[in-house]
Amino acid sequence: MAEVLLKHISKAYAGGPTVIRDISIDVKDREFVVLVGPSGCGKSTLLRMIAGLEDITNGDLLLDGQRINDRAPKDRDIAMVFQNYALYPHMTVYENMAFGLKLRNMPKDEIRQRVTRAAQILEIESLLDRKPKDMSGGQRQRVAIGRAIVRNPKVFLFDEPLSNLDAKLRGQTRIELQKLHRDLQATMIYVTHDQVEAMTLGDRIVVLRNGDVMQHDTPLALYNQPANRFVAGFIGSPPMNFLPGRIVADGTALRFESAGGAVSIRLNGSVHQQALAAYAGRAVELGIRAEHLTDQPMNRQRSYFSPEQLIVFDAVERMGSETLAYFILEGQRFVARLSGDSTVDTSVGVSTFWDIDKAHFFDADTEQTIR
Amino acid sequence: MKKLLPYLLVSPYLLHVAVFVAFPVVFSVVLTFHSWNIISPMQYVGLANYERLFNDRLFWQAIWNTLRFLMVHIPLQILLALMLAELLNRTVRGASFFRAAFFLPVIVSGVVVTILWQQLLSFNSGIINRMLTAISLPRVAWLDDPAVAMYSIAVMATWKNVGLYVILFLVGLQSVPEQYYEAADMEGATSWQKFRFITLPIINPTIFTVVVLSTISGFSLFIEPYIMTEGGPMNTTLSAVMYIYKQAFQYYHMGYSATLGFCFALIILFVVVIQKRYVEQEV
Repeated sequence: MAEVLLKHISKAYAGGPTVIRDISIDVKDREFVVLVGPSGCGKSTLLRMIAGLEDITNGDLLLDGQRINDRAPKDRDIAMVFQNYALYPHMTVYENMAFGLKLRNMPKDEIRQRVTRAAQILEIESLLDRKPKDMSGGQRQRVAIGRAIVRNPKVFLFDEPLSNLDAKLRGQTRIELQKLHRDLQATMIYVTHDQVEAMTLGDRIVVLRNGDVMQHDTPLALYNQPANRFVAGFIGSPPMNFLPGRIVADGTALRFESAGGAVSIRLNGSVHQQALAAYAGRAVELGIRAEHLTDQPMNRQRSYFSPEQLIVFDAVERMGSETLAYFILEGQRFVARLSGDSTVDTSVGVSTFWDIDKAHFFDADTEQTIR
Repeated sequence: MKKLLPYLLVSPYLLHVAVFVAFPVVFSVVLTFHSWNIISPMQYVGLANYERLFNDRLFWQAIWNTLRFLMVHIPLQILLALMLAELLNRTVRGASFFRAAFFLPVIVSGVVVTILWQQLLSFNSGIINRMLTAISLPRVAWLDDPAVAMYSIAVMATWKNVGLYVILFLVGLQSVPEQYYEAADMEGATSWQKFRFITLPIINPTIFTVVVLSTISGFSLFIEPYIMTEGGPMNTTLSAVMYIYKQAFQYYHMGYSATLGFCFALIILFVVVIQKRYVEQEV
């Protein structure tokens, strides 16, 4: 059992700004929770507070029901993997992994057993006699994880552990981390600024911005039902397209009119009609993902909105499995995800089809999703 | 012209090396085979200078005196420098003041420092002895007791030089990434364990540098005993360099002095090589 509970946690530096504001998160036993957000959002600070490397200004931190705010890092039964690995350069891999156990005066045999076991799990048995400087980034990464594993802690903390790896290795390590989580059955809290990592690794994701929780939910919920414009724009690759405008009511007809007038979408009959009726006359922002903007309506059952104006793509990226086509509409950068064999080209006008039922509308003032 | 230009550009340096390094070295080696008192012409004496050196008890005592000095001076200096650096590395108030204060003696002339300490250590009127009497302890003949004098000088030399090594250690300590200590905190290391298992091994190259630098500067001990004790009492503070100086410029035994210097340089080289083997091993 290892359940981490953050209750109204906040952090302020003496005479400085508040970096974490009243955050409450529950991390269930064996759950993989990812804290994600742009740099400066407080995610690392939060992780370091859980580790005990930073003081908690206000609120309670509970591990299995016990308040551990004032416990020293070593007494929390929590292990942390650092961004730069923090492997001791003068020690071999074995010594690095055994260091914490040695400090706890564990018998030598047991240390050897545990280190060997962790090395097996991570497939680094052949590296045990090497020093960090003789290893690649990926290998160091494994050793850093191994150092956490040998202690058999209740909770694992990861502070951007993949950010120093190249793209290919990052993808590979992501999969291995998933597997590791399954094998170890441990509670893990993971910090990253990369939303792809967050989406692929997390059972649940906490999106942070400027010390506030923007949304706390499963990856697909964040993707499909973002709570606000920030989450909508942060989660997903390529990012969501946004178009500012207003809701216009004309008798019974309800429409979204873009600020520049190029787009006028009839909302009657759409899933948004009811919620948006209350916004008549007010400024809103339309958000639509790239895959809901196509050059041909793939699903004949649905009604698509198609602007009268033809779209001229200014850049087309052919990925093979898909094609990303970029255009600018009323000064906003848009991207559409088309099929891999799409023949669209730049400088030719095309009709686009917008799946409005899949789109989101945000209150222009509060940036909250209108539901 | 094109071929000559590079040589032309480095010629000032080459000239400097030739005049101030190469020539003196070669000349002093040549001197070791001669007897010369500066005024009369040199006389070739073969290995006579070397023979004399091995039988010169005073020279070996000077070497022993110097080693006694080093045995106190180097460990004391390194420990003190490391301690002060460790303290200054924390965010203490007025850290920059202390940094400057510790460094000040390094830039003050050795003669001034020595005269100052001569006053402090004076048997009758020195502050240190007065403080001892004030707490009813017996006075110590800091500079006049053969068993004590060299160690008094070692302490004084440490006071003078420690600031330099504090700065070197500070640089070393600041190069240890904070994450190592945080990782160790998570592992449950105490302050001492962090120092012993992380700081010390990582700053080992700095320690080696400091050991070698302070050994070499310690071997050249001269001003302090020259001014304070003139080598006394009973030649117990006669340092090797001071003896070499005396042979050359008091007795005008230029050839013999060169032989001593040459031999002394070999001893220093030998010591530093051993240090390199043992101190640098762990890196």
